[in-house]
Amino acid sequence: MDDQTCPKCKTTKYRNPGMVLMVNACGHALCESCVELLFSKGSGACPECKCPLRRNNFRIQLFEDPAVDKEVDIRKRILKEFNKRQEDFPTLREYNDYLEEVETIIFNLVFDNDTTNTNKMIDNYKKENKDITMKNRNRQSQEEIELEELIEAEKAQQSEKANLYVNAELEEKKQKHKAREKLIDELMFSDADAKSIVASHVQATAALAKEQPKAAVQAGGPVVKSSKFSSGIQIGLRQNTSSFLPIPKQEDLPLFHYSAPVFDYDGPSPPAIAVLGKLNYCANIRAANVTERAGGYTEALSCCRALQEAMGGLFYSPQSSHKTTIVAAQETDDMETT
Amino acid sequence: MLELKHALDAKGHCLLEMPSGTGKTTTLLSLIVAYMKAHPLDLTKLVYCSRTVPEIEKVMEELRKLMNYYEKELGMEQNILGLALSSRKNLCIHPSVSKEREGKVVDGRCYGLTASFVRARHGGDDSVPVCNFYEGFDAHGKEFPLPPGVYNLDDLKEYGQAKGWCPYFLARYTITHANIVVYSYHYLLDPKIAEVVSKEISKSSVVVFDEAHNIDNVCIDSMSVKITKRLLDKCSNSIQILETTISNMKENDNRRLEREYQRLVEGLRDATIARETDMALVNPVLPSEILEEAVPGTIRTAEHFVAFLKRVVEYIKTRLRVQHVVQESPAGFLRDIHTKVCVDRKPLRFTAERLASLIRTLEISDLTDFSPLVTVSHFATLVSTYTKGFTIIIEPFEDRAPTVSNPILYFSCLDSSIAIKPVFNRFQTVVITSGTLSPLDMYPKILDFHPVIMTSFTMTLARPCILPMIVSKGNDQVAMSSRYETREDTAVIRNYGNLLVEVAAAVPDGIVCFFTSYLYLETIVSSWYDQGIIDQLQRHKLLFIETQDAAETSLALINYIKACDNGRGAVLLSVARGKVSEGIDFDHHLGRAVLMFGIPYVYTQSRILRARLEYLRDQFQIRENDFLTFDAMRHAAQCLGRCMRGKTDYGIMVLADKRFSRADKRSKLPKWIQEHLKDTNCNLSTEECVQISKRWLRQMAQPFSREDQLGISLLTLEQLQSEDMQKKIQQRAQAA
Repeated sequence: MDDQTCPKCKTTKYRNPGMVLMVNACGHALCESCVELLFSKGSGACPECKCPLRRNNFRIQLFEDPAVDKEVDIRKRILKEFNKRQEDFPTLREYNDYLEEVETIIFNLVFDNDTTNTNKMIDNYKKENKDITMKNRNRQSQEEIELEELIEAEKAQQSEKANLYVNAELEEKKQKHKAREKLIDELMFSDADAKSIVASHVQATAALAKEQPKAAVQAGGPVVKSSKFSSGIQIGLRQNTSSFLPIPKQEDLPLFHYSAPVFDYDGPSPPAIAVLGKLNYCANIRAANVTERAGGYTEALSCCRALQEAMGGLFYSPQSSHKTTIVAAQETDDMETT
Repeated sequence: MLELKHALDAKGHCLLEMPSGTGKTTTLLSLIVAYMKAHPLDLTKLVYCSRTVPEIEKVMEELRKLMNYYEKELGMEQNILGLALSSRKNLCIHPSVSKEREGKVVDGRCYGLTASFVRARHGGDDSVPVCNFYEGFDAHGKEFPLPPGVYNLDDLKEYGQAKGWCPYFLARYTITHANIVVYSYHYLLDPKIAEVVSKEISKSSVVVFDEAHNIDNVCIDSMSVKITKRLLDKCSNSIQILETTISNMKENDNRRLEREYQRLVEGLRDATIARETDMALVNPVLPSEILEEAVPGTIRTAEHFVAFLKRVVEYIKTRLRVQHVVQESPAGFLRDIHTKVCVDRKPLRFTAERLASLIRTLEISDLTDFSPLVTVSHFATLVSTYTKGFTIIIEPFEDRAPTVSNPILYFSCLDSSIAIKPVFNRFQTVVITSGTLSPLDMYPKILDFHPVIMTSFTMTLARPCILPMIVSKGNDQVAMSSRYETREDTAVIRNYGNLLVEVAAAVPDGIVCFFTSYLYLETIVSSWYDQGIIDQLQRHKLLFIETQDAAETSLALINYIKACDNGRGAVLLSVARGKVSEGIDFDHHLGRAVLMFGIPYVYTQSRILRARLEYLRDQFQIRENDFLTFDAMRHAAQCLGRCMRGKTDYGIMVLADKRFSRADKRSKLPKWIQEHLKDTNCNLSTEECVQISKRWLRQMAQPFSREDQLGISLLTLEQLQSEDMQKKIQQRAQAA
């Protein structure tokens, strides 16, 4: 940084450590005092490229190379408009082509190649993609979200872990101190053999030491910061990262047990399917041919069906049916109240 | 052997602690080779990782002995190929490139001669230089595999010279079908290199990590990045070079850039199918799902990417302009970089890959200038890929010199299991072994794996050849300790000095002393000088001191060895965790006694360490003190082990700190040391220590012949086959 020089007054950083270089849209640097001097009226021409500049647009030069400052400036401006994401393109190839196009535009602007055409292109693009641009402005890209999450997780981990371990260490120290004091006390006041006391003490500390790592492991488990409310809605202003609905959670219900359904025929019960052949009912039905039998169909099936249809509801009377519906309605009421 | 066999049978990982000098390497090699011969389908390959080049050579020597024995006993050539692999620096035989001293320069120049585009250019224009050895290898070497045998680095070079093939690429190529590969840790652990070198090693291999007591630090280092201001300035320069090269190329030959662009549009997978020589830059991270995806559009064209890099570098520069220390998580960093310079996470992730591709396309052959930029790109990729287990610390100045502004950004890996996880997942058996792995249960925790076997072996010795003692007080009964509160105390320093003087008077030949840090060593030596202890010491022995300068230290070492050899006797003052404590053996008369002054705790105020401790506590439930003690004790044990390098060796080990006698420290010493550490030797004063060592030295000085060891620690073939012994072995096996 020491070899920076103002192109106008030739001051260097070495001679004047307080010198600050400024840049404007054209990418040529000037020191602060020269800016004051040359642009006292508020606007003027760049002493190097003679392009008209405003004093308000001078910023402190961030990078060593003023050209980079200029480029970053233009880039930021362009990327505000050209902010399509990979999701907006059907293939990666097209997205890459788009990225390259953006890059070319920025390049043209930086090096003043073909400015008129480029500006036209930008205007066209602006008109065509107004809504997508607006939409994307409020949306963070996948990568940004990922990064944010990582940073957040790191922060959370840091604060929590630091406390945890400091506490654990303090605790351990205390315990050690206590154990030692206890041993000394015992040796002083107890009548038992000194050797046995020491031995039991050693055992106790060994047992403690075994427990300790376990505790440390428990404490050390990765802390996952919840990014969701208990209702499942994400904390923060993020949009849904995926367009799919969340998979409904499956609850643990008691296992399903099959019980045969009870049919209420309201009529004489039809003969069982197995005995239809014997009772010669099937003679009245067209025999199943080979292809049908291959599909699992037998004439007994349709025969049984016909019989059920014929006999079902023969004993039906409006009163009894009315009763059953009432019972059913009551049942549902009960269900609701419970 | 029994335990190792169990682990191989179970196809699980194991952790073995064996004292140094007891034939660890031979045991491992002979059993695994025998297993390979017996079950060629279950076990295809042995990958033996060691730390330094001399250690690799030692392993190769053992392997050669084993193969010779096989040949002698079975009377025929063995169809086993074993080879060592090292960096280009150690293997290059190119007349001019091999003269370079620095590894990076050799790599860069080699790349400049062998990269596929350079060779392609050479095809059209003969004036472009290429490496003849590589050309030779490329033309013929691949058809003729290396004949079976054992090749160490020199053998490879000789073979390469004879055939005119590049030994480095020959070795790299041969790895795929060699039975035994010996190389450095980094080839497996460092993801940047592992991807290239060790990719094709099959799952049914055994991986042995020897001298692995520091393996967690190696893992961490391989994933960490350090960025300084200078590095960033160099980055800016390289970016400028890139810019100009691109614009030149655009004018002259636009086709290549376009072709690259097309490839990137299609996806990165195809772009990464690079030829073997283009490996100088690779993706530092493993997630292969990234590679399947296409490069994001923002960095697809070359200019856009360079501008992107510029933004990243400028951003890091602004971050370095801090006045106080900043610690940040990767997530926070990513968010900040997004708001400040509009850099998204996804293109960041592709930075390393994209840069590699760009450099390849631009055909830049001199890579040495780009290494800073490559570092930054690795940083970008790592920071955006891993959000957990890493931290970013920006320090505006060093702790020792708070007035000098020297901002550094540390991207430090806190979790040693990240780098080693692919190794554990990929290979059926991983053996981690060293002389000092105690306490054993810590390693599975910090490396996050589940070993099937975890054992610490002791030595069967014919005589008590080590004498560990804990000296807790001086002759004046003042407690000795390197605790922070008492380390400035003149009484403690004087007592340490008296201990050393008296031990030096009693012990023959060489004595090695270890201090906790360079700073402590210096303060102690200066006050010893004032107290006249140095004079007293020099009456008995010569004095040598290790310094932070490697050249100075090696000079001191050479003279130390000379003084020990000619009988003058010498004392070497060195530092635990220093160079001496890690790789250098003081066998026999070079180290008759080791003195450990204080417990070598790490510098606990370091922020990186603090962050790591916190991480270990949160993730693995390892308490800070436990880890610190573990780390200190393994280094202490490592230092103590320096003087014991075999069964005929003997040495005194003095632990001069009151705290060593506490149960929690003592129990963390390796079993083979604990076994000899009697309760009576745990709370000695200087005088008592000298008395005991005098008596013990007299005992050790008795002639010790092969016959004395026979039957106890050395068995002849007859003894081994005798009935008693067979029974014993069977009992052992059943008990296990």
